[in-house]
Amino acid sequence: MHFVKTSLLSLIAFLAVVMAAQAADKIRVSSFSTILTEIAQQVGGDRVEVTGHVKPGVDPHEFEPKPTDLKTVGDAQLILLSAKHMEGYVGKLKEATGTKGALVEVGDGFATLKMKSEKDPDKVIDDPHWWHSVANMEKAVKIVRDELIKISPADKPAFTDNAAKYLSTLDGLEKWVKNELAKLPRDKRKLVTSHDAFQYFARENGFTIYAIEGISSEDQPSSKKVGEIVAAIKTQGVKAIFPESIENPKVMTEITRETGVKIAPELYADGLGDEKSDAATYVQMYKHNVTAIVEALK
Amino acid sequence: MAFVAIALLGWPLWQLTRPEADAAPAPRATAPLTIKKAIHLHLTFTTAPKSLVIKHLDGEVWKVTAPEVDLEKDVSLDYPAEGVDLQFHVEWPEGGPMAAMRVELTDPAGDTHDKSVWGKGIVDEVVTFP
Repeated sequence: MHFVKTSLLSLIAFLAVVMAAQAADKIRVSSFSTILTEIAQQVGGDRVEVTGHVKPGVDPHEFEPKPTDLKTVGDAQLILLSAKHMEGYVGKLKEATGTKGALVEVGDGFATLKMKSEKDPDKVIDDPHWWHSVANMEKAVKIVRDELIKISPADKPAFTDNAAKYLSTLDGLEKWVKNELAKLPRDKRKLVTSHDAFQYFARENGFTIYAIEGISSEDQPSSKKVGEIVAAIKTQGVKAIFPESIENPKVMTEITRETGVKIAPELYADGLGDEKSDAATYVQMYKHNVTAIVEALK
Repeated sequence: MAFVAIALLGWPLWQLTRPEADAAPAPRATAPLTIKKAIHLHLTFTTAPKSLVIKHLDGEVWKVTAPEVDLEKDVSLDYPAEGVDLQFHVEWPEGGPMAAMRVELTDPAGDTHDKSVWGKGIVDEVVTFP
């Protein structure tokens, strides 16, 4: 009798330890986009441990994984990538880590817009900035939710509930965006920018993009090129331009003097800002961009 | 006499010939002008709302309290070739069924476009035409 009692107690203790270990064993997620990091945290909640390899404020176009990143990716159960050629290192990443985790190229699930390559302007590439469409963002949330459920079916109710809450937040954002942009006449929706990152935003919200090369680069554009930019701004009646950074102040001064356009606040093109910025979350980032655009152009 | 004549002519001459104190302001990039154009709105409701407000560019263009289920009005709006966004605020009776509003907009070219807004209770929605 004593033996049976001891065995039963041992079995119960063993099961309790196993269950506790399982509960503590969070799903390891590696993310190569600040946007996807937020989605994984929101949908996964306390059941995931997310490593954001690309930190807020870091240019994802320039990011290269370090050996420490590779080690983390090797242990991850889910690896999230923006895709559409944003992560040029994806092949090396697969090869170097030999990861057994699910590698999900989230952006490949959406229709692709094309853009000129910044490195080689004669080349047309996929535009990787899909998150500037709230509709794409909603699709991304569903993709991440379904991947997490595949890894841990037992957590399906929690992931479904978390995703629904986040989708509701995005729905609210979409309504706010429509209301804000309704203050801006449709014939004024012209976005002159030095970084061609807002095509998805433009398509969703009725904007036309005029990407001007030469303003952000250190190369001095020809006077003919500057003349073309000035003529385009005057013809289109553009009130403000949105340079990503001003590395060529002489050109910028000439353009503003010739056209009278103002320099609008910087937009967040490549992901979230750091936690002290006004773009630490996706909703904040989107509101910052829309507010800056409406204020500058109306 | 000569002094008075010089003094009288001097001031306008100086005004015309004096150097500009400041450089002339840069010419603004001028947006293509949009002028107000007549458009026709025809609204039909599945359930009569308690009230309805339509705004364009954040300005009120039509406000009706206790409207009929079928109503129409001519309004003047800046109507560029790119179209317009109209903001609708509709208040249907609380606790009522799902209701719908059909909006038919006849643009300045005479083309009619129709869109629908669905909802319960208070609904705020931006509708883009065409």
